Amino acid sequence: MAETATVPSYRRAGGIGRVLERYPFLPALVIVVALLFLNGFFSPNSLSFRALTGLLSTYMALILLSIAQTYVVYAGDIDLSAGAILSLVNVAIVVLMERWGGGAGAVLLALAMGLLLGLVCGLVNGLVVAALRLQAIVATFATSIFFTGLALYILPVAGTPAPALFWRAYGGRFFGVPFVFYILAVLAILLAVLSRTRLVTQLLAVGDDPQAAYQTGLPVVATRVKGYVLCGLFSALAAFCITGDTASGDPLVGGKMTLYSVAAVVLGGSALSGGWGTVVGSLLGALTIALVNSVVFFMGTPSEWQNFVQGLAILLVLMAGVLAGRRGRS
Amino acid sequence: MSKLKLSGVSKAYGATLALRRGDLEVMAGEVHVLMGSNGSGKSTLCKIIAGSVRPDSGRILVDDQPVTITGPRSARAHGIGIFYQELSLAAHRSVGENISLGRLPVKAGVFVDRSELRQRAARYIGLFDGVSGEEFSAEALVGSLRPDQRQLVEIMKALASEAPLLIFDEPTSALDRAQVERFFEILRDLKRRGRGIVFISHRMDEIKAIGDRVTIIRDGETITTLNLNDTDPATVIRLMVGGAGDMPASQSSVPAVVDAERGAALTVRNLSGRGFSDVSFEVARGEILGFGGLHGQGQSAVLRGIFGAGAVTSGKILIGEESFDASGPRKAIRCGCAYVSGDRARDGVISGRPIIENVTPIHYLRDRLMIARPRKLRHKVAPALQSMQTKFASLFHPISSLSGGNQQKVIIARWLIDRPDVLLLDDPTKGIDLSAKADLFALIRQLAADGLGIVLYSSEDAELLGNANRILVFNGGSVSRELTGADRTRYNLYQAAYEAA
Repeated sequence: MAETATVPSYRRAGGIGRVLERYPFLPALVIVVALLFLNGFFSPNSLSFRALTGLLSTYMALILLSIAQTYVVYAGDIDLSAGAILSLVNVAIVVLMERWGGGAGAVLLALAMGLLLGLVCGLVNGLVVAALRLQAIVATFATSIFFTGLALYILPVAGTPAPALFWRAYGGRFFGVPFVFYILAVLAILLAVLSRTRLVTQLLAVGDDPQAAYQTGLPVVATRVKGYVLCGLFSALAAFCITGDTASGDPLVGGKMTLYSVAAVVLGGSALSGGWGTVVGSLLGALTIALVNSVVFFMGTPSEWQNFVQGLAILLVLMAGVLAGRRGRS
Repeated sequence: MSKLKLSGVSKAYGATLALRRGDLEVMAGEVHVLMGSNGSGKSTLCKIIAGSVRPDSGRILVDDQPVTITGPRSARAHGIGIFYQELSLAAHRSVGENISLGRLPVKAGVFVDRSELRQRAARYIGLFDGVSGEEFSAEALVGSLRPDQRQLVEIMKALASEAPLLIFDEPTSALDRAQVERFFEILRDLKRRGRGIVFISHRMDEIKAIGDRVTIIRDGETITTLNLNDTDPATVIRLMVGGAGDMPASQSSVPAVVDAERGAALTVRNLSGRGFSDVSFEVARGEILGFGGLHGQGQSAVLRGIFGAGAVTSGKILIGEESFDASGPRKAIRCGCAYVSGDRARDGVISGRPIIENVTPIHYLRDRLMIARPRKLRHKVAPALQSMQTKFASLFHPISSLSGGNQQKVIIARWLIDRPDVLLLDDPTKGIDLSAKADLFALIRQLAADGLGIVLYSSEDAELLGNANRILVFNGGSVSRELTGADRTRYNLYQAAYEAA
């Protein structure tokens, strides 16, 4: 039944359908543009270069976390521990930077350790889900508690500050261009490179139909584990951004972000059942969430209603995306 | 030289013995046909060779060397490629990617070598140039293809493994004649180049056309291996069914004449929709109307359209005297219209659920049952299943424990508890063994005799010629010719199907 819902039906798709087939993130792009207009309508200031840079540096962590999530969703899996990995890496690097004195060498070394930690967390998830064959939702929920526990052990209360060198660099400018734009450029190259790898094709094939992939002779277990490792690595990168943005360690900072990352993946047009999606879509999905939050704020919504309106807006955007996709395919 | 030799291979799933004693020897440069009714263990044997099923006992020799096949990857490493009956394609990947998925070409160790991928795709797509249908290209997504095109992709994928030993488990079930002929040319070429080929099909004419030797399996045991030149179809079928083997009724006897006095069961006037246009016909009560022609000429689309499962843009449908406009299958079922598809996995089977639940959904719908009481239902379910000699251990076993033929019998049985007025059969015997086919057609004739109007689309000419009172030949989405009485010959059917194509 899931198949009839996600596989483009074998009736010929129309013109829009074919474009959507190639670029499933188009509805998300349209929504992002529409939200930008709304932002400009409620507060012209919110479209200023400064404001957009601020928005980007705040939400860069969510963008990266959504991309992390996308790689496991490709293979039909899910990672409910992505946010916990982010928290764990966040506190680990902040504590390490502080211990090692906060110099440039210490920062770089701590970041390397952070990446390694993300990789190990991803490996644990992958082994638990793919090798031990536990249900991805439940197993990664369990590891998320475990990772959060570790984070709380490393830093029981939020507040240890990150070295000034680190957050000044993240929020600063180089040659007049804000640092987040360099991140965005490197990210674009990284994603383009990754999309050409055999691993990504294999992840998508596994997510499409695991049985078929196994019978084709693909290393299904190894591929899924690699997907989780990739997710762990991107979660660590997301942790770097959140550390740069908040300039401190917080063992619970990523908890809420996990499901936002899943929502961003879906907003971006990827199929949660696997086999179908794009990382660009997830990036736009994360931006959508960012812009929704910003619109809600600039509309002047009373603070006690902000969550309500945010939820409603995300629901609306999801519906719009789904309807656009359906119309295109029929 | 022996490419592959299996001796005494067995496999049990729990208490069921899927394969008792499988023996098979395939030589280089031969097409070795594997025959047996569904559930006899052919597919299990193939999956053991391909590594997706591990045998419990027995020996496997490749090129006279004993090997242990631990999985599909290891089978590939031993030079074995397979076409899976249920296909092994990624629906959201392109044709080109699917063809090479088993061994993606890489450069720099990690990147997919796109140009090599394209070249390889072009090479195998080129083999079927002209018969693969329009819009078939390396870039097309597999999910957007017609079933026959998907089957071609699976064939290309098996060929692209370039394995010395190739296994084809019912590779032609969705293909039309031109595609089958092209495929056979390719097989003959591979044969000349010394490949060993295992071929499974239920179509006797295909087996005669391509096979060199045949191994017959019955009840999980290899019975014998024969030279196809020294034998005749009747012998093969006798060996397959074990003793009680005349040619099945579906292929020999001529259908009874219809009593036209009984009135029309189904009238279709100027029906148009996606994939067909301006189709008109009438089915009398007690009549079996055949739909013939090449694959995908609108036959299935018309049937699905009538049943409310496909798009209809204009036209009129009457069931009996009453106008009938199915907005969806629910409505169609309530109005007494039944539809059985050959694509059981997509349109029929409720997978993972017990047999009894697979027999009763229509009954629930038509009687508006709210509470299921298995004890009471059993009395309604049992006769429906028995009318086709369905073999099952218990009503509460999952439907997946049955062979394809028996699954299809269960699907048909669900329509028999509350009799419909019109029965639409959309290639119902796809992938079903000969004895199950015989049971099905015996039932279909019985239903016709009871006064149902039946529309039968079949991709096998023999089934149409043997069972349909009239045959409408479809071409490009409309009826190009009607064959009645003595015109219903294989030659006429063949010619009508091809004349405008």
